[in-house]
Amino acid sequence: MTFLERTTDTRRLRHWEGNLEADYIYTSGLAGERFFVALRDDGRLLAARCTACGLDYLPPRIFCEDCFAELTDFVDVPKEGQVAAVTVAHMDRLGAPLATPEVWAFVTFRGIRGGLVHRLLMPPERAKVGVSVRPRLKPKKSRVGAITDIEGFEQARS
Amino acid sequence: MTERTKKWPGVELGAADLLEGKVTQTRFRPNAKYSWAAGEAMSRFLEEMRNGRLVARTCHSCKRVLFPPRMFCEGCFRPTDTWTPIRDTGTIETFSVSYLDTDARRIQEPILVGVVSLDGASPKMGMMHYFGEMTKDEIRIGMRVKAAWKPSEERRGSVLDIRYFRPLREGEG
Repeated sequence: MTFLERTTDTRRLRHWEGNLEADYIYTSGLAGERFFVALRDDGRLLAARCTACGLDYLPPRIFCEDCFAELTDFVDVPKEGQVAAVTVAHMDRLGAPLATPEVWAFVTFRGIRGGLVHRLLMPPERAKVGVSVRPRLKPKKSRVGAITDIEGFEQARS
Repeated sequence: MTERTKKWPGVELGAADLLEGKVTQTRFRPNAKYSWAAGEAMSRFLEEMRNGRLVARTCHSCKRVLFPPRMFCEGCFRPTDTWTPIRDTGTIETFSVSYLDTDARRIQEPILVGVVSLDGASPKMGMMHYFGEMTKDEIRIGMRVKAAWKPSEERRGSVLDIRYFRPLREGEG
Protein backbone atom coordinates (compact mmCIF):
# COMPACT_ATOMS: atom_id res chain seq x y z
CA MET A 1 0.00 0.00 0.00
CA THR A 2 1.52 3.23 -1.04
CA PHE A 3 -0.10 6.59 -1.14
CA LEU A 4 -0.06 6.44 -4.94
CA GLU A 5 -2.60 3.65 -4.85
CA ARG A 6 -6.20 4.66 -4.71
CA THR A 7 -9.19 2.92 -3.27
CA THR A 8 -11.68 2.71 -6.09
CA ASP A 9 -13.97 -0.01 -4.77
CA THR A 10 -15.42 1.24 -1.50
CA ARG A 11 -17.28 -2.03 -0.99
CA ARG A 12 -13.97 -3.77 -0.33
CA LEU A 13 -13.70 -1.70 2.85
CA ARG A 14 -16.04 -0.86 5.69
CA HIS A 15 -18.55 1.34 3.99
CA TRP A 16 -21.92 2.96 4.38
CA GLU A 17 -24.41 3.22 1.55
CA GLY A 18 -26.98 5.93 1.18
CA ASN A 19 -29.06 7.95 -1.17
CA LEU A 20 -28.81 11.71 -1.29
CA GLU A 21 -32.30 13.12 -1.44
CA ALA A 22 -32.03 16.03 -3.83
CA ASP A 23 -35.54 16.16 -5.28
CA TYR A 24 -36.40 19.36 -7.00
CA ILE A 25 -39.22 21.21 -8.68
CA TYR A 26 -38.05 23.59 -11.37
CA THR A 27 -40.53 26.20 -12.53
CA SER A 28 -40.47 27.47 -16.09
CA GLY A 29 -40.11 31.17 -15.34
CA LEU A 30 -42.18 33.98 -16.82
CA ALA A 31 -41.29 33.46 -20.46
CA GLY A 32 -41.12 29.69 -20.09
CA GLU A 33 -44.58 29.69 -18.58
CA ARG A 34 -45.97 31.52 -21.64
CA PHE A 35 -44.19 29.06 -23.91
CA PHE A 36 -45.40 25.89 -22.18
CA VAL A 37 -48.96 27.09 -21.62
CA ALA A 38 -49.25 28.01 -25.32
CA LEU A 39 -47.80 24.63 -26.23
CA ARG A 40 -50.15 22.76 -23.91
CA ASP A 41 -53.37 24.67 -24.54
CA ASP A 42 -53.03 25.86 -28.13
CA GLY A 43 -50.36 23.64 -29.61
CA ARG A 44 -48.33 26.71 -30.57
CA LEU A 45 -44.62 27.35 -30.33
CA LEU A 46 -43.89 30.90 -29.16
CA ALA A 47 -40.79 33.03 -29.42
CA ALA A 48 -40.17 36.25 -27.50
CA ARG A 49 -39.80 39.33 -29.70
CA CYS A 50 -37.55 42.29 -29.15
CA THR A 51 -39.16 45.08 -31.17
CA ALA A 52 -36.12 47.34 -30.70
CA CYS A 53 -33.64 44.86 -32.19
CA GLY A 54 -36.05 43.00 -34.43
CA LEU A 55 -34.98 39.73 -32.83
CA ASP A 56 -37.09 36.72 -31.90
CA TYR A 57 -35.84 34.36 -29.20
CA LEU A 58 -36.51 30.64 -28.87
CA PRO A 59 -36.85 29.44 -26.19
CA PRO A 60 -38.48 32.73 -25.20
CA ARG A 61 -36.81 34.79 -22.51
CA ILE A 62 -37.72 37.96 -20.64
CA PHE A 63 -34.73 40.10 -21.60
CA CYS A 64 -33.10 40.85 -24.92
CA GLU A 65 -29.51 39.67 -24.89
CA ASP A 66 -28.48 42.48 -27.22
CA CYS A 67 -30.20 45.57 -25.76
CA PHE A 68 -31.31 44.30 -22.32
CA ALA A 69 -34.87 45.44 -23.00
CA GLU A 70 -37.62 43.59 -21.20
CA LEU A 71 -39.49 41.35 -23.63
CA THR A 72 -43.26 41.12 -23.35
CA ASP A 73 -44.28 40.37 -26.96
CA PHE A 74 -44.56 36.84 -28.24
CA VAL A 75 -44.79 35.64 -31.81
CA ASP A 76 -45.45 32.27 -33.42
CA VAL A 77 -42.47 30.28 -34.55
CA PRO A 78 -42.59 29.29 -38.27
CA LYS A 79 -44.37 26.01 -38.92
CA GLU A 80 -41.22 24.42 -40.28
CA GLY A 81 -37.73 24.38 -38.90
CA GLN A 82 -34.41 23.07 -40.14
CA VAL A 83 -32.07 20.52 -38.60
CA ALA A 84 -28.95 22.45 -37.54
CA ALA A 85 -27.11 19.58 -35.86
CA VAL A 86 -27.89 15.93 -35.41
CA THR A 87 -26.68 13.03 -33.33
CA VAL A 88 -27.72 9.41 -32.91
CA ALA A 89 -28.04 8.12 -29.34
CA HIS A 90 -27.32 4.44 -28.74
CA MET A 91 -27.74 4.69 -24.96
CA ASP A 92 -30.47 6.13 -22.77
CA ARG A 93 -29.96 8.80 -20.10
CA LEU A 94 -28.68 6.22 -17.62
CA GLY A 95 -26.25 4.64 -20.05
CA ALA A 96 -28.33 1.54 -20.79
CA PRO A 97 -28.19 0.40 -24.43
CA LEU A 98 -31.20 1.35 -26.57
CA ALA A 99 -32.81 -1.38 -28.67
CA THR A 100 -33.58 1.22 -31.34
CA PRO A 101 -31.16 4.13 -31.63
CA GLU A 102 -32.74 7.54 -31.15
CA VAL A 103 -32.03 10.51 -33.39
CA TRP A 104 -31.65 13.85 -31.64
CA ALA A 105 -31.27 17.23 -33.27
CA PHE A 106 -30.98 20.92 -32.68
CA VAL A 107 -33.77 22.44 -34.73
CA THR A 108 -33.63 26.10 -35.75
CA PHE A 109 -36.26 28.29 -37.40
CA ARG A 110 -35.67 30.99 -40.02
CA GLY A 111 -35.46 34.42 -38.47
CA ILE A 112 -35.40 33.08 -34.91
CA ARG A 113 -32.42 33.22 -32.61
CA GLY A 114 -31.99 29.95 -30.75
CA GLY A 115 -33.83 26.71 -31.33
CA LEU A 116 -34.96 23.50 -29.69
CA VAL A 117 -33.18 20.24 -28.97
CA HIS A 118 -35.54 17.34 -29.55
CA ARG A 119 -36.03 13.88 -31.02
CA LEU A 120 -36.15 13.45 -34.77
CA LEU A 121 -38.88 11.05 -35.80
CA MET A 122 -37.04 9.60 -38.77
CA PRO A 123 -34.46 6.89 -39.39
CA PRO A 124 -30.84 7.90 -38.71
CA GLU A 125 -29.87 7.71 -42.38
CA ARG A 126 -32.46 10.39 -43.29
CA ALA A 127 -31.45 12.72 -40.46
CA LYS A 128 -29.13 15.26 -42.04
CA VAL A 129 -28.32 18.88 -41.39
CA GLY A 130 -30.63 21.10 -43.43
CA VAL A 131 -33.60 18.73 -43.49
CA SER A 132 -36.88 20.60 -43.04
CA VAL A 133 -38.89 19.37 -40.06
CA ARG A 134 -42.08 20.21 -38.23
CA PRO A 135 -43.12 19.41 -34.68
CA ARG A 136 -45.46 16.50 -34.01
CA LEU A 137 -47.45 17.23 -30.86
CA LYS A 138 -49.11 14.86 -28.48
CA PRO A 139 -52.94 14.94 -28.51
CA LYS A 140 -54.19 17.90 -26.49
CA LYS A 141 -55.66 15.81 -23.69
CA SER A 142 -52.31 14.24 -22.88
CA ARG A 143 -50.29 17.50 -22.96
CA VAL A 144 -49.07 18.70 -19.57
CA GLY A 145 -47.05 21.83 -20.33
CA ALA A 146 -43.63 20.29 -20.81
CA ILE A 147 -41.20 19.96 -23.69
CA THR A 148 -42.31 16.34 -23.98
CA ASP A 149 -45.70 17.65 -25.20
CA ILE A 150 -43.77 17.65 -28.47
CA GLU A 151 -43.26 14.02 -29.44
CA GLY A 152 -40.49 15.07 -31.76
CA PHE A 153 -39.81 16.64 -35.13
CA GLU A 154 -40.80 14.81 -38.28
CA GLN A 155 -39.84 15.45 -41.85
CA ALA A 156 -41.88 18.27 -43.39
CA ARG A 157 -43.88 17.00 -46.37
CA SER A 158 -43.61 20.15 -48.44
CA MET B 1 -36.52 46.90 1.04
CA THR B 2 -34.48 49.79 -0.23
CA GLU B 3 -35.57 53.37 -0.73
CA ARG B 4 -36.06 52.82 -4.44
CA THR B 5 -37.46 49.31 -4.32
CA LYS B 6 -40.69 48.87 -2.41
CA LYS B 7 -41.38 45.43 -3.78
CA TRP B 8 -39.04 43.03 -5.49
CA PRO B 9 -40.09 42.30 -9.05
CA GLY B 10 -41.19 38.84 -9.94
CA VAL B 11 -43.92 36.37 -9.13
CA GLU B 12 -44.00 34.76 -5.74
CA LEU B 13 -44.97 31.10 -5.71
CA GLY B 14 -46.02 29.13 -2.67
CA ALA B 15 -45.88 25.40 -2.08
CA ALA B 16 -49.55 25.09 -3.02
CA ASP B 17 -48.92 26.72 -6.42
CA LEU B 18 -46.38 24.04 -7.15
CA LEU B 19 -48.24 21.08 -5.69
CA GLU B 20 -51.52 21.95 -7.40
CA GLY B 21 -49.72 22.40 -10.68
CA LYS B 22 -50.76 26.04 -11.15
CA VAL B 23 -47.52 26.66 -13.02
CA THR B 24 -45.68 24.47 -15.48
CA GLN B 25 -42.79 22.71 -13.83
CA THR B 26 -40.21 20.00 -14.09
CA ARG B 27 -39.91 17.52 -11.26
CA PHE B 28 -36.86 15.38 -10.84
CA ARG B 29 -35.43 12.95 -8.36
CA PRO B 30 -31.68 12.50 -8.95
CA ASN B 31 -30.41 9.00 -8.46
CA ALA B 32 -27.65 10.19 -6.14
CA LYS B 33 -26.56 6.97 -4.49
CA TYR B 34 -23.28 6.90 -2.65
CA SER B 35 -21.03 4.47 -0.88
CA TRP B 36 -18.75 6.02 1.69
CA ALA B 37 -15.82 3.96 2.91
CA ALA B 38 -13.87 4.38 6.11
CA GLY B 39 -10.59 3.94 4.23
CA GLU B 40 -7.91 1.25 4.44
CA ALA B 41 -6.71 1.96 7.97
CA MET B 42 -10.00 2.72 9.69
CA SER B 43 -11.72 -0.24 8.02
CA ARG B 44 -9.12 -2.62 9.46
CA PHE B 45 -9.35 -0.81 12.80
CA LEU B 46 -13.13 -1.31 12.89
CA GLU B 47 -12.87 -4.98 11.90
CA GLU B 48 -10.37 -5.58 14.69
CA MET B 49 -12.76 -3.94 17.15
CA ARG B 50 -15.12 -6.83 16.40
CA ASN B 51 -12.37 -9.15 17.62
CA GLY B 52 -11.88 -7.12 20.77
CA ARG B 53 -8.51 -5.78 19.63
CA LEU B 54 -7.11 -2.32 19.07
CA VAL B 55 -4.60 -1.90 16.25
CA ALA B 56 -2.29 0.94 15.31
CA ARG B 57 0.05 1.62 12.37
CA THR B 58 3.77 2.00 12.91
CA CYS B 59 5.99 4.32 10.91
CA HIS B 60 9.49 2.87 10.61
CA SER B 61 10.96 6.29 9.92
CA CYS B 62 9.89 8.20 13.03
CA LYS B 63 9.17 4.99 15.04
CA ARG B 64 5.82 6.35 16.11
CA VAL B 65 2.88 4.01 16.70
CA LEU B 66 -0.03 5.88 15.18
CA PHE B 67 -3.46 5.46 16.74
CA PRO B 68 -6.09 5.69 15.36
CA PRO B 69 -4.25 3.93 12.55
CA ARG B 70 -3.55 5.72 9.27
CA MET B 71 -1.80 4.60 6.12
CA PHE B 72 0.23 7.76 5.80
CA CYS B 73 2.63 9.33 8.30
CA GLU B 74 1.85 13.03 8.52
CA GLY B 75 5.21 13.66 10.15
CA CYS B 76 7.45 11.88 7.62
CA PHE B 77 5.25 12.30 4.51
CA ARG B 78 5.56 8.63 3.71
CA PRO B 79 3.35 5.53 3.89
CA THR B 80 3.24 3.81 7.25
CA ASP B 81 4.72 0.31 7.44
CA THR B 82 3.19 -2.22 9.80
CA TRP B 83 0.12 -3.09 11.83
CA THR B 84 0.82 -2.99 15.55
CA PRO B 85 -1.56 -4.32 18.22
CA ILE B 86 -1.87 -2.01 21.21
CA ARG B 87 -3.45 -2.53 24.63
CA ASP B 88 -6.95 -1.58 25.73
CA THR B 89 -5.68 0.21 28.81
CA GLY B 90 -4.74 3.85 28.96
CA THR B 91 -4.81 7.19 30.69
CA ILE B 92 -7.47 9.89 30.65
CA GLU B 93 -6.04 12.93 28.86
CA THR B 94 -9.09 15.14 29.09
CA PHE B 95 -12.76 14.76 29.84
CA SER B 96 -16.12 16.51 29.92
CA VAL B 97 -19.09 16.11 32.23
CA SER B 98 -21.96 16.52 29.81
CA TYR B 99 -25.54 17.32 30.71
CA LEU B 100 -26.49 17.07 27.05
CA ASP B 101 -27.00 13.71 25.37
CA THR B 102 -25.91 12.82 21.83
CA ASP B 103 -29.02 14.53 20.46
CA ALA B 104 -28.27 17.67 22.53
CA ARG B 105 -31.24 17.00 24.84
CA ARG B 106 -30.80 18.05 28.45
CA ILE B 107 -30.29 15.14 30.83
CA GLN B 108 -30.33 14.89 34.64
CA GLU B 109 -27.53 12.34 35.07
CA PRO B 110 -24.45 13.54 33.20
CA ILE B 111 -22.53 11.38 30.75
CA LEU B 112 -18.75 11.34 31.00
CA VAL B 113 -16.84 11.64 27.75
CA GLY B 114 -13.22 12.36 26.94
CA VAL B 115 -9.99 11.33 25.34
CA VAL B 116 -7.98 8.37 26.55
CA SER B 117 -4.38 7.86 25.42
CA LEU B 118 -3.77 4.15 24.95
CA ASP B 119 -0.89 2.03 26.20
CA GLY B 120 1.29 0.81 23.36
CA ALA B 121 0.55 3.77 21.09
CA SER B 122 2.83 6.79 20.96
CA PRO B 123 2.29 9.36 23.72
CA LYS B 124 -0.97 11.34 23.52
CA MET B 125 -2.40 9.01 20.87
CA GLY B 126 -5.74 7.50 21.65
CA MET B 127 -9.43 7.84 21.14
CA MET B 128 -12.46 9.69 22.34
CA HIS B 129 -14.97 7.60 24.26
CA TYR B 130 -17.37 7.34 27.15
CA PHE B 131 -16.24 6.73 30.72
CA GLY B 132 -18.17 4.49 33.08
CA GLU B 133 -18.16 2.86 36.52
CA MET B 134 -17.06 6.19 37.96
CA THR B 135 -18.86 9.34 39.03
CA LYS B 136 -18.35 12.89 37.85
CA ASP B 137 -16.62 13.53 41.16
CA GLU B 138 -14.21 10.62 40.80
CA ILE B 139 -13.08 11.17 37.20
CA ARG B 140 -9.80 13.04 36.81
CA ILE B 141 -7.09 13.65 34.27
CA GLY B 142 -4.34 11.06 34.54
CA MET B 143 -6.71 8.35 35.74
CA ARG B 144 -5.80 4.85 34.54
CA VAL B 145 -8.62 3.15 32.64
CA LYS B 146 -9.41 -0.04 30.73
CA ALA B 147 -11.90 -0.73 27.95
CA ALA B 148 -15.16 -2.40 28.92
CA TRP B 149 -15.94 -4.46 25.82
CA LYS B 150 -19.33 -5.68 24.78
CA PRO B 151 -19.66 -9.50 24.65
CA SER B 152 -18.25 -10.74 21.32
CA GLU B 153 -21.68 -11.70 19.95
CA GLU B 154 -22.85 -8.08 20.34
CA ARG B 155 -19.86 -6.50 18.62
CA ARG B 156 -20.52 -4.97 15.23
CA GLY B 157 -17.14 -3.62 14.15
CA SER B 158 -17.79 -0.21 15.64
CA VAL B 159 -16.09 2.03 18.20
CA LEU B 160 -19.15 1.28 20.33
CA ASP B 161 -17.96 -2.35 20.59
CA ILE B 162 -16.30 -0.80 23.63
CA ARG B 163 -19.11 0.32 25.95
CA TYR B 164 -16.89 2.73 27.83
CA PHE B 165 -13.56 2.96 29.65
CA ARG B 166 -13.71 2.06 33.33
CA PRO B 167 -11.15 2.53 36.12
CA LEU B 168 -8.24 0.10 36.00
CA ARG B 169 -8.51 -2.35 38.88
CA GLU B 170 -5.76 -3.54 41.21
CA GLY B 171 -3.56 -6.09 39.51
CA GLU B 172 -4.75 -5.24 35.99
CA GLY B 173 -2.21 -4.50 33.25
